[in-house]
Amino acid sequence: MPRDFDAAPQRRRRRLLGAAAAGALGGFTGMSRRSIAAESQLTLPFDNGQRALATFPQKRPMIVLTTRPPQLETPFEIFDQGLITPNDAFFVRYHLSGIPTSVDPAAFRLNVSGKVDKPLSLGLAELKALGEPIEIVAVNQCSGNSRALFAPRVNGGQLGNGAMGNARWTGIALKRVLEAAGVQAGAVQVSFDGLDQPIRDATPDFVKALPVEQALDGEVMVAWAMNGEDLPMLNGYPIRLVVPGHYGTYWVKHLSDIKVLDAPFTGFWMASAYRIPDNACSCVEPGTAPARTVPIGRFNVRSFITSLRDGARLPVGHERLVKGIAFDGGQGIREVAFSDDDGRSWRIATLGRDLGRFSFREWTISFKPAAKGDYALRVRAVNRAGQSQPLDALWNPPGYMRNVVETVRVTAA
Amino acid sequence: MILPLLRAAAAVLALLAAPAGALDITLPGDSSALQPSDLPGYALAQAKCLTCHSTEYVQYQPATLGRTYWKATVAKMKKPFGAALDDADIDAITDYLVRTYGNERSTR
Repeated sequence: MPRDFDAAPQRRRRRLLGAAAAGALGGFTGMSRRSIAAESQLTLPFDNGQRALATFPQKRPMIVLTTRPPQLETPFEIFDQGLITPNDAFFVRYHLSGIPTSVDPAAFRLNVSGKVDKPLSLGLAELKALGEPIEIVAVNQCSGNSRALFAPRVNGGQLGNGAMGNARWTGIALKRVLEAAGVQAGAVQVSFDGLDQPIRDATPDFVKALPVEQALDGEVMVAWAMNGEDLPMLNGYPIRLVVPGHYGTYWVKHLSDIKVLDAPFTGFWMASAYRIPDNACSCVEPGTAPARTVPIGRFNVRSFITSLRDGARLPVGHERLVKGIAFDGGQGIREVAFSDDDGRSWRIATLGRDLGRFSFREWTISFKPAAKGDYALRVRAVNRAGQSQPLDALWNPPGYMRNVVETVRVTAA
Repeated sequence: MILPLLRAAAAVLALLAAPAGALDITLPGDSSALQPSDLPGYALAQAKCLTCHSTEYVQYQPATLGRTYWKATVAKMKKPFGAALDDADIDAITDYLVRTYGNERSTR
């Protein structure tokens, strides 16, 4: 039965009161949510791209895509400051506004059920005791990162390039958790649900699924730490799924329920959402619809110049080091090429330290604008499977997987 | 006079009841409101859209988009997303959105 529309604050209040501590914050004033403190504004490079920068809990000022639920982009200059994205600058993406605002780690349980020999209800200490912790440096990127740069424009969160980040994740292989429960013969998929929930019962809960082979591959992880610290609440405290090389839609936050299934999961967020054209480029002619679709999967290859922004003015005749990042879906980056003449000629950049095949890889190259004038700087990466980036942007209706060769326009004077 | 005392008492009780190691956050309130309008869809949008999400979902869409886009988007909020909208609501909200945020707006 659908609730009427003022049920939302009630549900939120219930959750807060359940958490008890919130009574101190809101006991007499209902919610007493402080109003947003917009520190400044910026304009992203597309129509209607004015955005506020604001501070959310455990975060530095971030680009606000939406306030409720919180969706925050990382300001692009962060990617020039180091290969690891700090926790307080890491992007935030939610689908549903019923997000947890209070989690007691001592009471938290992770449930494992379905086609298993022994259903589990694990406390955090029990989870950590299931085996040796593993660590991996891996990029998380939203499927719709850079969506607002699609031409023609498409429906959805109008993101710039800030819905990505690279962190060192600590946790336990999902395989260990599933082995502890004992996956039964006939299992085909595993579904993942978190504490976040819809405001209305009629709204599909955010639940994702992976093939059972992938769930058991030893790479998919249940992570409790990010860059050596607890996950921030808005990045999934106390535990989240980490699916290296795969789009963020699978990295279920506040992971609370794992179900082993003997049939493909048919929930909305797998069967209807986060699907891409079923062809090699995951693309269609702009403005058309794909004949067949499949669930989105691994990242394609991307690279960015981070040390120079569009419109930068450089002193003519001075050599400088240009720097950036490249990444892919887990093959690892083999080569990065740089052009200072809009793609007519290319030079090979120097790759930085290898933090693993799922990580951002730094690249650097020297650039000396010899004459006054405008320069279109382009960067293109190739991974170890020989996959690269298109010179002209590909298109699909949901605005996923943008990976065009990026261009930064600068002027030497 | 008595209110601050009650408030302090409530705070103490809440602290006693709070799990020691819990992580609590307080989210900011919405940063913006829908643009006021005399169109009937304005009140409907306030009542039915903002139940589940803040205004940026509307205001950050490209201003070039037209009625077909906005109607499809509002209809999508009913099914599959579960908003409590009847067909008349969908038409009225679409009209408000396209004339306020879409390509039928009079001013940007």
